[in-house]
Amino acid sequence: MNRHHPWLSWPQISSEPMQVACHFCDTLQTAPRLRDGDGAYCCSCGERLFRNRPRSLAHATGYSLAALFFMGISHAFPFLIMTSGNVTTRLTLVQSASELAQQNNPLLAAAVVFFTIIAPLILVGGLLYVAAPLRYGISLPGAIVAARWFQKMEPWSMLEVFLLGLVVSLLKLGKLADLEFGTGLWSLIGLVLCSAAAIGGIDRLELWDRLEISRLPPAEIPEPAPPPRA
Amino acid sequence: MTPEPNPSPSPISAASQGLASCHVCGKVSPVTVGHCPRCDTPLHLRKPQSLERTWAFLIAAVILYIPANTMPIMTVQGIGGAEKNTILSGVVRFWEMKSYPVAIVIFTASVLIPLLKVIALVWLCLAARGRSQTAPRSLSRLYHITELLGRWSMVDVFVVAILVCLVQLGAIMTITPGPAALCFSAVVILTMFSAMSFDPRLIWDRHHEKPNPSSSLPSLPTNE
Ligand SMILES: [Zn+2]
Ligand SMILES: [Zn+2]
Repeated sequence: MNRHHPWLSWPQISSEPMQVACHFCDTLQTAPRLRDGDGAYCCSCGERLFRNRPRSLAHATGYSLAALFFMGISHAFPFLIMTSGNVTTRLTLVQSASELAQQNNPLLAAAVVFFTIIAPLILVGGLLYVAAPLRYGISLPGAIVAARWFQKMEPWSMLEVFLLGLVVSLLKLGKLADLEFGTGLWSLIGLVLCSAAAIGGIDRLELWDRLEISRLPPAEIPEPAPPPRA
Repeated sequence: MTPEPNPSPSPISAASQGLASCHVCGKVSPVTVGHCPRCDTPLHLRKPQSLERTWAFLIAAVILYIPANTMPIMTVQGIGGAEKNTILSGVVRFWEMKSYPVAIVIFTASVLIPLLKVIALVWLCLAARGRSQTAPRSLSRLYHITELLGRWSMVDVFVVAILVCLVQLGAIMTITPGPAALCFSAVVILTMFSAMSFDPRLIWDRHHEKPNPSSSLPSLPTNE
């Protein structure tokens, strides 16, 4: 059984033409052949079905690694230093939540922790865990679960909303105190940009096809596909 | 290069063939298999109880939207006593102080977006029941916008979190979060769940169901 599609740079588990159903109108159609960077659109409603992203796993690995690095820095250094009189406050991500918990608002604190710490961590960490070994055809234990989870976390990771909140608070406080940006702020911006690039650059078709292949017993793994025709 | 959609005369829906596309990985498999063979997600022709769940989350959000806007979102304790701010009184205050950008951002994120999101979801639910004549393509655009904008409503909750932590100016001033902050984050979470429960394919099912002499599609199995 030949599992290679002449127009794909990765093997697929079945050699039959791939069927896709539009997530919006449920129209069943055969996945079209795509050149690098092109998108496939539903023939009935025009929604985008998927997009071919060249070297998507390499991009996802690089950007999610950078994002994790920035995440570490933004937890280690304060993103805002405020001086008013002789009181200096250094604000970190964890602090902004723990202060809420201390003021008898555990639920609100939990929400802030989830949106700004846990969800981004699952998103970026899960992506790295899946994408990095998959470049070499390996899937680590639990890779499927991790892939499911990082896709689910996408809407709940709200660091860019938190950044807007930071800007609004600065405009509110500007006249009351001396404010100084810390290293944490720049790494927070880096984290937002890198995680957006990592998630945006992933080719989901390739990711799931490769995950499926990587779970086969070694003897059944098809040989690398010939380079795609232009 | 973006290929133009070329409308085919009679689109065949996956559901009419008993095929379900996985919510997570997109693989098309027979719905009788039960779980996606690739990622083990439960398979459904349509999201289960989509409209009921969308309505339930939406109604809960609307109910919580009232205390979120009438109760104080934070209390500022200064030398001159305690001052309780609601979302709207905050907007008005910043407008009067000529801080127009702050007023506009808070008003858009905390008042306008949740309201528009609720209206959009009600509209989508009605359309899925066949009570709207809007073109399905405009409705899917509406759905995309709803999904995209919803999360930005959390901005004011984050502002409260940041201010509470930041403003510990000795004995001069303290800020404590009010009950509206919790209500408001619940509103955002509930509207996000509501949008996630909605299945846009229901709109197209309605659209294809309409009496159309040129097509004779098999009737869809309903899975609501
Ligand atoms: Zn479609
Ligand atoms: Zn699946």
